[in-house]
Amino acid sequence: MAEVHTFRHHAMATYFEVRVVHEERGYAAQLAQAAFDLVDGLESQLSRFRTNSEVARMASLGPGETMRLSEPVYACLEIADRMERATGGAFSATPVAVRVQLARWTLLRQESAIRCDGGVLQMDLGAIGKGFALDRVAELLRTWDCGAFLVVAGGSSIVAGEPPPGAAGWTCGVGEGEARRELGLTRAALSGSGLAVKGNHIVDPRTGQAALRQERAWAVADSGAESDALSTSCIVLGDAEIEEVLVKEASWGVFLEGGEGVRMLGRRLPPVA
Amino acid sequence: MVKSFLKRFLNRRDFINASAVAGAGLLLNSCKSGTTPGATAAKPSSQNMLHVALIGYGEEGKVLLESMLNIPDIKVVALCDIWEYHRGEGLRYLSKLGNEVRGYENYEELLAKEKDLQAVVIATPDFTHAPMTNACLKAGLDVYCEKMMSNTIEGARSMVQTMRSTGKLLQIGHQRRSNPRYLFTRNRLLGEAKFCGRLTAAQGQWNRAVKEDFGWPKKYEMPQALLTQYGYKDMHQFRNWRWYKGLGGGPLSDLGAHQIDIFNWWMGTPSSVMASGGLDYYKNHDWYDNAMVIYEYPLATGMARAFYQVQTTTSAGGGYYETFSGDDGTIKMSEDPSVCAIYREARATGVSWDDLTEKGYVHLKQPTTDAVKVDVRETAQLAEYDIPVFFNKPPHQPHLENFFSAVRGTGKLNCPADEAFTSEYVIHKANEAIAAKKKIDITPEEVKA
Repeated sequence: MAEVHTFRHHAMATYFEVRVVHEERGYAAQLAQAAFDLVDGLESQLSRFRTNSEVARMASLGPGETMRLSEPVYACLEIADRMERATGGAFSATPVAVRVQLARWTLLRQESAIRCDGGVLQMDLGAIGKGFALDRVAELLRTWDCGAFLVVAGGSSIVAGEPPPGAAGWTCGVGEGEARRELGLTRAALSGSGLAVKGNHIVDPRTGQAALRQERAWAVADSGAESDALSTSCIVLGDAEIEEVLVKEASWGVFLEGGEGVRMLGRRLPPVA
Repeated sequence: MVKSFLKRFLNRRDFINASAVAGAGLLLNSCKSGTTPGATAAKPSSQNMLHVALIGYGEEGKVLLESMLNIPDIKVVALCDIWEYHRGEGLRYLSKLGNEVRGYENYEELLAKEKDLQAVVIATPDFTHAPMTNACLKAGLDVYCEKMMSNTIEGARSMVQTMRSTGKLLQIGHQRRSNPRYLFTRNRLLGEAKFCGRLTAAQGQWNRAVKEDFGWPKKYEMPQALLTQYGYKDMHQFRNWRWYKGLGGGPLSDLGAHQIDIFNWWMGTPSSVMASGGLDYYKNHDWYDNAMVIYEYPLATGMARAFYQVQTTTSAGGGYYETFSGDDGTIKMSEDPSVCAIYREARATGVSWDDLTEKGYVHLKQPTTDAVKVDVRETAQLAEYDIPVFFNKPPHQPHLENFFSAVRGTGKLNCPADEAFTSEYVIHKANEAIAAKKKIDITPEEVKA
């Protein structure tokens, strides 16, 4: 009988968890190992803290110089670029440290490369990398014919596949106390951002100032990379600005913590568990 | 804070440019390929294009392909892997990059059909290296073959002999031998500046945490007949060949080969090896899951001993690195630049930090304090120095570049098979010493192929 098997691994300065439904624990364990190897590989390419990572090496590009990127790094930057435009700059792959240097870059699809157009390309994919890694893990799980899964990065990013046996979805909580809501997540990604754990660590890339929103924000999307970027941008956007962003994309939804409980914005409403 | 970060960062970029005029200029110039426009994105020019086949698209093959894609005028025209799952993945990836390559299950078929190849890169299990390499060399191709050369000494020796008889090039994938940081440290700090003084000890390790064996998606399981045809008992053995005798050499050859090769490269040939190890943790493998090895290196200045350990049950001890210690100082090396360090003994007076800094051989780490304030606080730490080589490439790329430049006749191999054979030999001897539970003497004659 198929059961939920859970595995944990340390990566990207947090933990990654794979919950997968399968008849054989051995198969699930090897699949989880393959998933964690994948995450480790992505970290070695995407982390700005790894001296020889592609992201770290981009920082030495001068204006006009280009660098070929591996497929995952190019794909991640493509999403980052798209999310920067979709959020009006509230999300950025080159946050404030570079904004003061006017970092400008262009992705060159034909060459699978990045070109530095100005400033220092000090990329920081911390607000999108975990969700992106979860998306790649989800692809891998499906390749292994394990469609029923929940993968988690650090408790702040979640990607859900098909639901576990006998359930309508994977139960995921947002909010605390009486305001807490439990969602039944299926074939969707959910990310949370806030200042409670790491303090005031999010800056508004548009101004370089610290984020003003003190409450948590959660975002739902089809992919973890999108929900990660969206939830981070919600910390620096006002409610009206969030509404503007959500109008453009029907697959996105946002939950905001507030005095009256958790408020829902956008058209995507995951079912209550 | 942001300002100080940017200051540090810009110092690094400025430093690379500034150091090109210092004593280390020539070498450093060759390390900063990423600092000229377009240099890191391969731009083909058909006149000088080399056609290359990649045999083996597992984890190592993927790493090598990524590096090859960065090198101008290299075109991968064929890809071979016996596993359709990996082969298909590679073909799709290259196709997505606009590079339509021909796929093969069998390398002999590849050699028979590909008539416009100049070189082959081999990244397959160890036991296949000798037959594949020998066949490719005999087909008139230059070969880059991953380490280990072979799962047997005889196999490795045959590769050297074929290299000699065909006159073709055979580079072995000990990529640290082309790493600018390793080259600089060996040639300038250890050799010329004698930073360590009299070398007395070396230490190396590669420790990994417990891992599940490699699995595979069930729908991509290879038919048993195909597995048997290519020398595997079953799919598990195919995916985990490094652990099986007759296919690979266990962790000492998988991981230890890198560091033991550095011992040999920097200190010559050992005169003996003693080792202990065992299959103590995993139940379904052949090879030792842990090993501790001591080599004796009779240097001109006196005996130096090198200790090496590989653990596959713990990641403790700082991952992978090599240290070289002498009576004047210690150099700690790793492919991970953040691990590299240099320490100088208080007694060392032969060469001053200032002299080394002046020559560009070491770099004073910049203090992060505000230049306009002097606070009285805790006792200051001693100044720290690091190795001033930064290169903007993946670790395997310089070694492949070295190979391709040799293929073009514009360079000399950094790790030809006959030189690599020495390391190959003493690594096999370490496994032998574990089995024999005794010290084994090694003569300079026997390490020659």
